[in-house]
Amino acid sequence: MTNDDLRRLVSVQQWLYAEARLLDERRYDLWRDLLADDVRYRLPARAYVAQADCKDFSTWGVDREIGGAGSLALIDDDAEGLKARIGRLQTGMAWAETPPSMTRRQVSNVQILDVSDDGTLSVVSNLFLAKSRADERVLLTAERRDRLAPVGDGYRLKDRYVVIDDVVLASSNLSTIF
Amino acid sequence: MRPMEYVADDGGWVMPEIFSDQALYDLEQKRIFGRAWLMLGHISQLPKPGSFLRTYMGEESVLVTRDREGTLHAHINACRHRGFEVCQEDHGVAHRFQCRYHGWMYGSDGRLVGVPGEDTIYYNEIDKRKWGLAKVARLETYKGLIFGAFDPDTPSLLDYLGDMAWYLDIILDRREGGTEVLGPQRWRIASNWKVIAENHGGDEYHIGFAHGSVFPPDLGSNRATPIPYAREVRPAIGHGFGVNIFPDEMSIEEQLSHSFVAPPFVSDYLIRSNEEMANRLGRQRARMELIHGAVWPNFGLVPILNALRVMHPKGVGEVEMWAYSLVDRDAPPDVKAWLAGRTAATFGPGGSFEQDDAANWASVTRSSRGAQWRSQPLNLQMGLGHEERSDRVPGELGLTASEINQRGFYLRWRRDMFGEARS
Repeated sequence: MTNDDLRRLVSVQQWLYAEARLLDERRYDLWRDLLADDVRYRLPARAYVAQADCKDFSTWGVDREIGGAGSLALIDDDAEGLKARIGRLQTGMAWAETPPSMTRRQVSNVQILDVSDDGTLSVVSNLFLAKSRADERVLLTAERRDRLAPVGDGYRLKDRYVVIDDVVLASSNLSTIF
Repeated sequence: MRPMEYVADDGGWVMPEIFSDQALYDLEQKRIFGRAWLMLGHISQLPKPGSFLRTYMGEESVLVTRDREGTLHAHINACRHRGFEVCQEDHGVAHRFQCRYHGWMYGSDGRLVGVPGEDTIYYNEIDKRKWGLAKVARLETYKGLIFGAFDPDTPSLLDYLGDMAWYLDIILDRREGGTEVLGPQRWRIASNWKVIAENHGGDEYHIGFAHGSVFPPDLGSNRATPIPYAREVRPAIGHGFGVNIFPDEMSIEEQLSHSFVAPPFVSDYLIRSNEEMANRLGRQRARMELIHGAVWPNFGLVPILNALRVMHPKGVGEVEMWAYSLVDRDAPPDVKAWLAGRTAATFGPGGSFEQDDAANWASVTRSSRGAQWRSQPLNLQMGLGHEERSDRVPGELGLTASEINQRGFYLRWRRDMFGEARS
């Protein structure tokens, strides 16, 4: 890893940490500024499916379990949908978050997988999201596959694909951002 | 247990303890989920010989299969030897289901076809014909939807649905090609199943307030003003819909202007296909729109946003919600994708409506555990005594809003649980 690679990795890590902190602190107005104009935010549904061939580990892939034919994504927001999702919280009548959930996000296992010609980074990270509200306390884990566009000193989120580690979601709703 | 202590004779109140009492829940598993027709899925999920899906009937794990000849079957998903769940996948294609405990093998028609050691340690004495998977006694489809019932003596599905079928056609039989579903999305809600089911069947009142984050806050002062074309209909107690009944002479364009806004490529499709719907179902039903509804006991619908959902009970205070999007099979792919996306954005677990509903239902259930509160009756009197009939549509009618369908829901509960009848 070159010094430039290391510098870039640290800057991505710090960006992801800062982003997680904004969400834990419910500073959605500032978080919204981190989104690219054409952002996409998706959480596919996951299912238990048979391995295509148990002798061939290459067929054991996680991707076989998500977003198959006939499946319905848990969330599939374009930029307008994601902004509406955040805007709804400000109506004072989004009861699932009134009063708000208490959340704590742990971001780890950050890797830059690819840098495209225009500088857009493909980044994976693990998210451990603890959420507590009323008598519900849930622990959710996910892999996040992000595409980050460099802007000035930081990045803008262009795409987030969240592979959640639940077939039956262990939460009564998805009122928090992953 | 004395039924009059739980639900008023006229349905005008209900005791919260029916949402938290373990003995009542156990009895529901036998008397309601052991008898009623329950929604298992849609034929589009089983497209070819060997297709299977796993679902629930009450707390029972159920395997629905299409055999080599194309016939549908439903069985309890448990090996007859030790009860291990023979199918561990959610869906797929398989002609054999082998138990992973001791290797008993079943065909996609449920027959026991292989027992390891049959000719040695079993001395060829096991009668395999008697030890197939436990059959779900009744399996029928209605225009694509698959239903099962454990009670061999339950009336036919058509009799069970009654006039409900006339309304269901509005979403299931619009076009020659019928429908298909996308999904399910699955998640857990800390609520008694009835709290959720009654909401789907009849609760138009909550929309302006509980969903105030989605609608303008001035929406009819929280439904204090009846909506001109909308009615709550009760084809039979337990079943119910909220519907828009537009005048026959109204144009489809104007009809759509009363519904949620869709982009032109979607509304163009709805306008185009409405002509086919009018030919199939008649002008009157082509001028009707199902808003929300429920088929007794735990099948909920929000057709105005293409949402179907089944509330699988998982204990007295817990539900596993399975949610689907229902679309016309022959709609263009971009129209299907847009409509399904809207279902997810509104009634998925992260949906603008669903998030707040789940929080509310959990709160109702939590209250019902209080030793004092559980015997304080809850008021269901909205529109009581003002039910009407119309020569245009089957069933009893109430205004939107009215609690006619919640009353029907709990009177059906009382009848199925305790054998009491009331009109």
